[in-house]
Amino acid sequence: MLTYQAEVLRTLISDVIQQNLNAGLWQWMNEKIAPVGDIRQFNIAFVSVPRKTGKNILRVTDEQNAAIREAGAGLDITSWTVDRLSRIWLVSSLHHKDEEKYFQTIENLFLSAEVNELVALYSALSVLHYPERWTKRCAEGIRSSIGAALNAVACNNPYPAAYLDEPAWNQMVLKAIFTDNPLDEIIGIDERANADLAKTLSDYAHERWAAGRFLNPLVWRCVGKFINTGIFPDIEKLAASGHAYNREAAALACRDSAYAPAQELLNKNPNMKSAIASGQLSWKALAEKMKNYVLQ
Amino acid sequence: MCCSNNITEKDLQPGIRDKSYLERIKGMQFFDPHIHMVSRTTDDYEAMVDAGIVAVIEPAFWVGQPRTGIDTFRDYYSSLIGWERFRASQFGIKHYCTIGLNSREANNEPLAEQVMELLPLFVYKEGVVGVGEIGFDDQTPAEEKYYRLQLELAKEAGLPVQIHTPHRDKKRGTTRSMDIAVEHGLDPGMVIVDHNNEETMKEVLDRGFWAGFTIYPFTKMGNERMADIVKQVGTERIMINSAADWGISDPLAVPKTAALMKDMGIREEDIRKVTYQNAMDAFAQSGQIDEADFTGVKNIDQNLKFGKNTVLRGGQQPRTDKSSIIIR
Repeated sequence: MLTYQAEVLRTLISDVIQQNLNAGLWQWMNEKIAPVGDIRQFNIAFVSVPRKTGKNILRVTDEQNAAIREAGAGLDITSWTVDRLSRIWLVSSLHHKDEEKYFQTIENLFLSAEVNELVALYSALSVLHYPERWTKRCAEGIRSSIGAALNAVACNNPYPAAYLDEPAWNQMVLKAIFTDNPLDEIIGIDERANADLAKTLSDYAHERWAAGRFLNPLVWRCVGKFINTGIFPDIEKLAASGHAYNREAAALACRDSAYAPAQELLNKNPNMKSAIASGQLSWKALAEKMKNYVLQ
Repeated sequence: MCCSNNITEKDLQPGIRDKSYLERIKGMQFFDPHIHMVSRTTDDYEAMVDAGIVAVIEPAFWVGQPRTGIDTFRDYYSSLIGWERFRASQFGIKHYCTIGLNSREANNEPLAEQVMELLPLFVYKEGVVGVGEIGFDDQTPAEEKYYRLQLELAKEAGLPVQIHTPHRDKKRGTTRSMDIAVEHGLDPGMVIVDHNNEETMKEVLDRGFWAGFTIYPFTKMGNERMADIVKQVGTERIMINSAADWGISDPLAVPKTAALMKDMGIREEDIRKVTYQNAMDAFAQSGQIDEADFTGVKNIDQNLKFGKNTVLRGGQQPRTDKSSIIIR
C-alpha cells in the first residue's frame, strides 16, 4: 500500500497555517483546541472559521509545497483556501488522548456539515488521529452525490490508497470515473490497480460501447497491467478505434502489460512506441489532452 | 400551501404554455428570497435559471407532516446547506438559506427543546443568511416561547430574522410578531416580515420593517395586486418572493411578476428593487452574501462550458430536449 507520513504532514500544515493567519487568529484557533476546552465552543469555531479567516488561496512556499508533496505521497495543497486548511488544522490538532471522545466529536462534525465543511473534513482524513477508524467514513464520502465532497475524498487525498481495502478502493475509482473526476489526481491510482478492477472496467467498457456512449480512454490506465486473454480483445478494439485518444490509450495499456500479445500489438506501431519512449505520450499527457476535450 | 377553493370545470383544464414573457425580462437578474427547493424538481431549477433567477433563499419550514425526532431535523437542516446547495449550483444558481424552528413544530415542546440545542451548530454556517422562517401559526404560548428564544439567537449571531406571518388571524399575528421583535431589542431593519397583503403592509413599512410579499395562487398575493401596490406605495423595503413549495405554487413567480410589472408600465429600475436589490440589501446584513458570488457562479459556468457536453464537465448538468420523445 501507498503510505504517507501523518505526523510530518501535521507539522507542515501547522507551519503553513500559522504563516497564513495573523497572531490574534492563530491564538484564537489554539484556544479552541485546548484540552480543557468545551466541545460546543470547538464546534462553533469549526463552523465559523471562514468568517474569521476569509477564503483566500493559501500562501505556501516552494519548499513547504515540496515537503508536503513528499510526506503526503503527492498531496498538493497549493490551490486550497485558508479556511479549508484552518479547519483541517482544527480537527487534526484537537486534543485526542480520549479516543472515543475524539472520534465522536469529529463524527458529529461530519453529520451536520455543509458542502465546504465536508470538503475540509474529507481532505483532513490523512491527518486525523486513529486513521484506521475513518475507513467507514471515507467509504461514506465515496457514496456522496455532492460533487465537491466526492472530489475531496477521491482526488488529491493520500488517505484512501493507504487505508481502503480493495473493494472500497475499486468502488472509489469507479465512482470517480462515473462522475468525471480526473483519474490522474487520484493518489495511488497506478500502485493500487488490481485484476478485479480491470475486469470491472472491461465490463463497463462493453456497456458503454453497447449504448453507443463515449468512454473516457483514461480508464485503461487501471487495466494495462492485468491484460489477459479475456481483456485483450478490448485493447485490440481500442487500437483499431477511429479516435486518436483511444489508440493512444491502447498503446499505453500495452506498454504497461507483460502479456506477450499486447507487447506484439505495440511493436506493430513504431510511431506510438517511440512517442512513449520519448515521453511525448504518457498517461499524464493524455489526461491533459482529455481535460480540454469536447465531445462531438 | 393550497386551500379548499371551489373548483369549477374550467379550473381543471390544462393551461396554455406561453413563454413569451421571458422575452420581456431578458437580461434581468432575479433573487427569490423565499422558496422551498427541497420540494421542487430539477426541472424547476432549469426553468428558473432560464427566467433569470440567479440566487435563492430557502427558509427552513414545515415539510408537510410533523417530524418525530431530532435526527430528522438535523438531516433536514443538513440538506439545506448541503444537498440543496449543490443541486442549485449545478444550474448556476446561488443557494442560501435561513435556519430556524417553524411555528407549527414549536408546539411539540420536548422536540422543540432539542431543536433549540441543535440550532447554534447551524446558524453560524456559511451561506446561512438569517434565522427563519419563525413566528406564529396558531399563536399558542409554545409558539411564542420559541419565537422569543430564536430572536435572541439571531441577535447573538448578528443575523437577520425572516418572519412567517400566520394565515389565520393574520393582521393581529403580524402586529404581535413585530411587537415582540421590538421588545427583544431587534432593529426593524434586521427583520423581514413575510407574506404581507394590502391589510398588513402599512404597519410593517411604517414601523421600519422589511415587507415580503409572496406571490402564491389562491392563498396569498396575486401579482396584479402586487403591481398595483408597487404603483401606489413605491419600492422602499418591499421584496417579492414565490414561497414555492409542495403546494400549488410557482417557482417562476418572481420573474413572471417582473414581466407583468413591465407590461403595467412600472420602470425597470423599480422592478429591480423589488425583485432583486431590496432582498439583497436586507439579507446581505448577515455578511454571508457577496454579490460577486453570482457573477462568480456565472464565470465558472462559462469556464466549464467547453462545449455543449464535455467529459470532465465539473458538475454542470447537461441540457436535454424536453420536447423530444427520444431520450438518450
